[in-house]
Amino acid sequence: MENNRQISAQQLMQKVSEAAFYVTDLKLYLDTHPDDARALRMFGEASRNAKACFDAFEKRYYPLFATSADCDSDWEWLVGTWPSQKMA
Amino acid sequence: MFIFTKMTQIPVKINNKNPRLASYILSQYGGPDGELGASLRYLSQRFAQTEKSGIALLTDIGTEELGHLEMIGSIVTQLTKGEGAKSFDRYGVGDYYIDHANGVYPASASGVPFSAAYLQSKADPIADIMEDMAAEQKARATYDNILRMCDDPDVTNIIRYLREREVVHFQRFGELLDMLQSKIK
Ligand SMILES: [Fe+2]
Repeated sequence: MENNRQISAQQLMQKVSEAAFYVTDLKLYLDTHPDDARALRMFGEASRNAKACFDAFEKRYYPLFATSADCDSDWEWLVGTWPSQKMA
Repeated sequence: MFIFTKMTQIPVKINNKNPRLASYILSQYGGPDGELGASLRYLSQRFAQTEKSGIALLTDIGTEELGHLEMIGSIVTQLTKGEGAKSFDRYGVGDYYIDHANGVYPASASGVPFSAAYLQSKADPIADIMEDMAAEQKARATYDNILRMCDDPDVTNIIRYLREREVVHFQRFGELLDMLQSKIK
């Protein structure tokens, strides 16, 4: 059970990183092509998709942004795989 | 400002240990053409850019390079996690162990500590962007050298990815240079 959950955290993180990367790459392109209508449309879509992926991951696993950390009982920000660690 | 996100641009998951490979890859952390120099170069030069596109591009690429710095640190950590003095010595990097043990220290593969002398900030948008294009090529060449030394597929995949980003950055800086030069004419 624990194992399955971990595997899908990895799979979902793969989707999150792909979605975030698409935004990053389009952003650089738009910095030097600010009037490219097609790229602007693509950015809008990429940006909405990335937000949805972040939300889905944070809802199921752990906060990626400190502003999403739950602070009702304990400090949830500590939970999750930090960049020095590898996802189990 | 910067907001930390608890993820890397692509996941870093290295299964094998190899302190020697770690010491080579460390050059992209604090070496002459590494990610620390790249991020400091762009994030410093952006203050003197005159066009919005230049300010934005240097900010955005400088930020991406900071993320790459974190990925390199993560690769080095995972390649040496749990390895002790004897292992470092067997891999020929006992000298690194003496000074830093399993720590990530900004230095080159040959052990030279990071220096701001690796970069310039000239308040001349064209001179700066030309330096940046050269810097991207040198970073790309360093990743090529690492790929020649690396036979661990977990590491190779990430290094190839980072190498590809340098090619994209070079392309974007070239477009910015054209834009700046056409404004002068
Ligand atoms: Fe770069």
